[in-house]
Amino acid sequence: MAYLFKNILPYALTGSLLLLGGCASQLDVKPVNTIDAGAAVATSGDVAALLVGAYDALGDLDVYGGNIQRDADLLGDNGEIFFDGTFVAPDEIFRKSMLVNNGQAEVTWLDSYRAINIANNVLANLDVVTEGDRARVEGEAKFIRGTLYFELVRNYAKAWTDGTPSANPGVPLVLEPTVEITEQAKVSRNSVSEVYAQVIKDLTEAETKLPESNGFFATKYAAAGMLSRVYMMQQKYPEAANAATRVIDSKKYSLVNTAEVFDLRVNQNGFNTAEDIFAIQLTSQDGLNALNTFYGAPEYGGRGDILIEDAHLALYENGDRRAELFYVAENGNTYTSKWINQYGNIKILRLAEMYLTRAEANFRNDSSIGASPASDINLIRARAGLSAIPATSLTIGAIMKERHLELAFEGHLIHDIKRTKGTVGGLAFDSPKLVYPIPLRETDANANLTQNPGY
Amino acid sequence: MIRTSLLSFLCCLVFCTAVLAQEARVTGTVTSAEDGSSLPGVSVQVKGTQRGTQTDATGGYSIEAAPNAVLIFSFVGFIPQEIAVGSSSTINVQLAGDIRSLSEVVVTGYGTQSKRNLTGNIAKVSGAEIANTPVTTFEQALQGRAAGVQVTSLNGKLGQGMQMRIRGSSSVTASNEPLYVLDGIPLTSRDQGTSTAPQNPLADINFNDIESIDILKDASAAAIYGARASNGVVLITTKKGKSGKTKFNVSYQMGSSKPTRLRQWLNTAQYVELFSEAVQNGIDAGYLPESYLTGSTYSRFTRYAAGDQAGWENGTIDTDWQAEAFQKAPMGQFDISASGGDDKTRFFVSAQALDQKGILIKNSFKRLSGRVNLDHKATDRLTLGVNVNLARTVNGRLSNDNAFSTPLQIIALPPITPVIDPRTNELSGNYTLYFNPLLNRDFSSNVSTSYRTIGNIFAEYRFANWLKFRSEVGTDIYNLNEDQYFGKETSRNTGAPNGLGFSSWAQVTNYTSNNFFTLGHTFADRHDVDATLGMTFQKSEASFNSVTGQEFPSNAYTKIISSANITAGSSSGSNFSFLSYFARANYRFENKYLLSVSGRVDGSSRFGANNRYGFFPAASVGWIITEESFMEGIPTLSLLKLRGSYGLTGNAEIGNFDSYGLYRGDAGYAGVPGQRPEQIENPDLRWEQTTQTDIGLEFGLFSGRLSGEVDYYIKNTRDLLLNVNVPGTSGFRTQLRNIGNLENKGWEFVLRSDNTTGAFKWNTSLNLSANRNKIVNLDGQVITGGFINRAVEGQPIGSFFSIEYAGVDPDNGDALYYRNDERPDGTFDRTTTNNPNEAQRVIIGNPNPKLIGGISNSFAYKGLEFNILFQGQTGNDIYNGGGKFQSANGDFFDNQTVDQLDRWQKPGDITNVPQARLFGANGTAESSRYLQRGDYLRLKNATLSYNLPSAITNRVKLDRVRVYVTGQNLLTFTKYTGWDPEVNADYLAGNIGLGNDFYSAPQAKTIIVGINLGF
Repeated sequence: MAYLFKNILPYALTGSLLLLGGCASQLDVKPVNTIDAGAAVATSGDVAALLVGAYDALGDLDVYGGNIQRDADLLGDNGEIFFDGTFVAPDEIFRKSMLVNNGQAEVTWLDSYRAINIANNVLANLDVVTEGDRARVEGEAKFIRGTLYFELVRNYAKAWTDGTPSANPGVPLVLEPTVEITEQAKVSRNSVSEVYAQVIKDLTEAETKLPESNGFFATKYAAAGMLSRVYMMQQKYPEAANAATRVIDSKKYSLVNTAEVFDLRVNQNGFNTAEDIFAIQLTSQDGLNALNTFYGAPEYGGRGDILIEDAHLALYENGDRRAELFYVAENGNTYTSKWINQYGNIKILRLAEMYLTRAEANFRNDSSIGASPASDINLIRARAGLSAIPATSLTIGAIMKERHLELAFEGHLIHDIKRTKGTVGGLAFDSPKLVYPIPLRETDANANLTQNPGY
Repeated sequence: MIRTSLLSFLCCLVFCTAVLAQEARVTGTVTSAEDGSSLPGVSVQVKGTQRGTQTDATGGYSIEAAPNAVLIFSFVGFIPQEIAVGSSSTINVQLAGDIRSLSEVVVTGYGTQSKRNLTGNIAKVSGAEIANTPVTTFEQALQGRAAGVQVTSLNGKLGQGMQMRIRGSSSVTASNEPLYVLDGIPLTSRDQGTSTAPQNPLADINFNDIESIDILKDASAAAIYGARASNGVVLITTKKGKSGKTKFNVSYQMGSSKPTRLRQWLNTAQYVELFSEAVQNGIDAGYLPESYLTGSTYSRFTRYAAGDQAGWENGTIDTDWQAEAFQKAPMGQFDISASGGDDKTRFFVSAQALDQKGILIKNSFKRLSGRVNLDHKATDRLTLGVNVNLARTVNGRLSNDNAFSTPLQIIALPPITPVIDPRTNELSGNYTLYFNPLLNRDFSSNVSTSYRTIGNIFAEYRFANWLKFRSEVGTDIYNLNEDQYFGKETSRNTGAPNGLGFSSWAQVTNYTSNNFFTLGHTFADRHDVDATLGMTFQKSEASFNSVTGQEFPSNAYTKIISSANITAGSSSGSNFSFLSYFARANYRFENKYLLSVSGRVDGSSRFGANNRYGFFPAASVGWIITEESFMEGIPTLSLLKLRGSYGLTGNAEIGNFDSYGLYRGDAGYAGVPGQRPEQIENPDLRWEQTTQTDIGLEFGLFSGRLSGEVDYYIKNTRDLLLNVNVPGTSGFRTQLRNIGNLENKGWEFVLRSDNTTGAFKWNTSLNLSANRNKIVNLDGQVITGGFINRAVEGQPIGSFFSIEYAGVDPDNGDALYYRNDERPDGTFDRTTTNNPNEAQRVIIGNPNPKLIGGISNSFAYKGLEFNILFQGQTGNDIYNGGGKFQSANGDFFDNQTVDQLDRWQKPGDITNVPQARLFGANGTAESSRYLQRGDYLRLKNATLSYNLPSAITNRVKLDRVRVYVTGQNLLTFTKYTGWDPEVNADYLAGNIGLGNDFYSAPQAKTIIVGINLGF
């Protein structure tokens, strides 16, 4: 007995104690897949990676990965397409009967603000960026932020053309990165005009600071092109024509053949054409092309949900090369070829839009900033294999039809209707049914947010 | 372990004084009353002394005892006997075996305790009760067998995750699943797979190896597991060898399964009628063009009918798609075990091969399992041992309930579509309304294989009769491989035109070391003290990798080595550790006043730097009233015991790094690396804390023939680990915080009765539990889940919150909803509207049952035995999220349930089904239209068995031959009109996502026959 107490118990106890001593430090387990936020943004390279993160968030499928563009065409459709899918949210948008808990309205909101927060983090850390890169980094972050606020305000608030923008609630402007969640996170909606002012400020500064060439990232001309859209929404035609002219006159971009505008290969990594001013980059390993998901036939990796109706096909004149950008799939339905390549890039801004925008702005403004409306329109028509329209017989209807056909299924439709005060499916441009609800989840989490009319 | 502790318990009882008297040698043999076989290793003790011995290999013993002495014969699994020596020199004893004698000892975590002296609440289920149940995992076999324990299969897919709730849900965001501990090793029990349909790691356990399952429910029982005990603790103890002749047990069982129920769908004539009407109504209402019926719709019908217009017009095509989702489901299971040993070494070895097909196409489950449990007395004081289990499980898996490819979504296909396209003689493919799941049956594989090693080694050293030290080092290594291939024929579902391959590995290595002292002593013959003191350390390291490839030369190539385009790949990891110190002391005065205190200090890597350690104490008292002298006059009352406990437990089951502010480097773009903020820091993050009060009364009447327990408990959980919805404008969606509290209150009632004894034995066992969950405070948060579930203050967790369906307007067939605007006086506007956006959402139901329970009856006559178990629940609702597609009065072209034929057709029609309107969204909003009561009572298990008489078995040199037939889920009584009321759609299942149905497969009704041979 004594032997045991002398010889074994001490070992047993010491053994256990050693075990205990060794263990306490074992509680310091570091994350494996992630890193500490405090150490994540220390160098210029870290900010560069964060900026890339902002592009990644911008290219999310619920942002510019395609769903924002898809929904603009679903909401603006007047019987030229048919939504044949089962997803409830796009179906409600297509039927113009969104419920307040529409899932797409929720994720587009959340993912847009997620990208904005990353851009805000970039902007808050500009001081660690190498001096030579600083202006470009600032310009890119502001391009992303300005673009997203533009998309938010034109989807979640009354159009600029509807009532008084300074009195209509827009979306909350958050311009600082979130480091903690306090009561201050419960922000209120800024007015439509305040949001537009911020958009123009961001995009203008971006245009100033961005370089002329920047790989596939945002350039000076991407910012100018986006500005032209903003001004069109505000019916500020001279500003819009000037912004478009800055892009066209840069001579950085050129129109390509109709068959080459869109990537008609299948299952191949995307590339930018000479016509692309800004596009979301996709590869088979990164990014999802939501436009392929919904417009693409099953044999091309899509769900085949959006069918092209005869009403649309009938709009093309004989000989219009763009009428060839459709195909009949194995299931017998007709689809657009624009998004046939599931790994193809998603075009956000391309040169043809600049000509169409300038033509329309000049025509409405009765001016010829950069060029005459007829010469711009006929450039687009010539590319499509169509005859020129004499300047004397050019009408706004012809310009708008050209725009409609050239930019079909690229996310312009509902916004063109709203800014031109058109109608859709029997609804006036200012119908509350054409404005997204502030997501229910968001008004639940933040009582300071007012809901849109009709929800 | 049970045995050692029982011995030390007996040692304690007899520790103090030795009686000096005239002594003589007494010899004899101990045999089993059941079969007359000799019982080696039986403890023979002279009452009131330390003197004792054990029976030898032939059951014989020899001991010195005085004539006035009393001998105690005790053995695990048998009822102890006391026999006065008197003048006899030979005393032969027959010990009666009984399952209930096992339940006299409960496993408490780092020890065991006599049920009689227990002051906490532990439900025990013996392995014998669940052995050979024809299910894949032991939790299913527990259904209805333990009070306060609710077990739910998510659906009828084999190998699928389960939900277990012990005394309700104690958390909103952290896990609500109990801690599972097998032979001292905390198990990896959470899903580690990549599918949103969880896979159950506990299905690797061969439950025929299980000796007992002890479920720690109240704070006194569970606090020894500290920060992981709030949801209860399930202690699994595996079988140990018994010294004596080596006993072999061989069994084989086979059978087959069918779905518990099918639903009724429209046939071709009904389908064409309903949808033609729905289109015409759309035309009449002006939102569909005049030509839509004869043009678009008829051509659509013809397209769906594989181009065969007559097929849908005349009903020559009339497909019962539902039948195609199911397959023949045979199962076979082979078990063999051997146990034995001598007085120094005991062993138990077992092997199992299970091969089962699921009721759904492509669903299967195979398990190979082997176990060795060995213990060896190196010296009088030192015992060494090892328990090792190796298992391999191969699970043919299915897509989650939300996938077009999951078999039961097949019912959405119209009956006008043929299974085989006559134009190609191949499965109907691209032209069908949705993806045809049969393509997955023929052109895909989805197999998960797990390799599991659970084992420990231990040493126990007895310093003195009153003190021993035990050290265990254990590990649970879980390797999961998922291997999937989807051929080009499934491209409509996968988006991959030429095949998609996926392969992943998960490895979770979980180490545990338990080191503890056990003390026991009796002072002055009436103060019994025992105590446990120790520490434990656990570390879990997980690593995951996966790769996805597309573009395969043909379906003959299914591994990613043949893929021309590797589209995704990933590796990742995650670790956690716990360091804990624990202590427990039990004190008993004169065998009638009981006191127990316990506590655990838990440190975890999961928690913020400011709150890394927590202390979890508990105390309980008991009073065995029948031991009081004033009770002696009531002989019918054999036991009356009052007990109460109070204590604190924690819940640490959150993500491993939730307290950190984190950046993630997965935000690359077009090949350029990128990073992003992912999570907001919370250094104050700490455990959820649950205080639980439990008052219990145990009673026994008529010498224990009728016994029972009644418990009332209140569980208050505070500092809820809450994923709080933050304004999305912050760039984040949620933050994990300690906010809010909730409570569970409830009753548990357990009754056991030996209705008849003698040749015809009839036992009844009943358990009923009523739990009420209420969320008290969420800081005003509303947390949503499922389709319409939410956690909201003042309501039970997961309450269904939606607009309220008000039926159909008899004038125009519009679906109506109650407006339910709350007026200033607190009443609600009960006028109706046909615009769902104008109706306010209210609480419309509760997924938590008000009452759960089970009742089992066992009848035995000679060798014949019949066991029957009913299980059920009541007071809960089920939301069918698929209703808006399945029963949508022709809103889209999905096939409809036959009840949709009751649609409104003309003014004055009184019905609950609105007018059929294609694309009309008439009544398809999420609403109480798709909510139903989920009450059910189920004949869970019935087993008829026959033990051949030993006269016959002896002739063939067998100890035992038992043949049996078992039925599982034989009958279900419910008003729920879906497939099965035991449901929770796999991809939505969670703390808040409760009671949802979404094309979820019914449970299997299984009938098997089997034979056991013992020799």
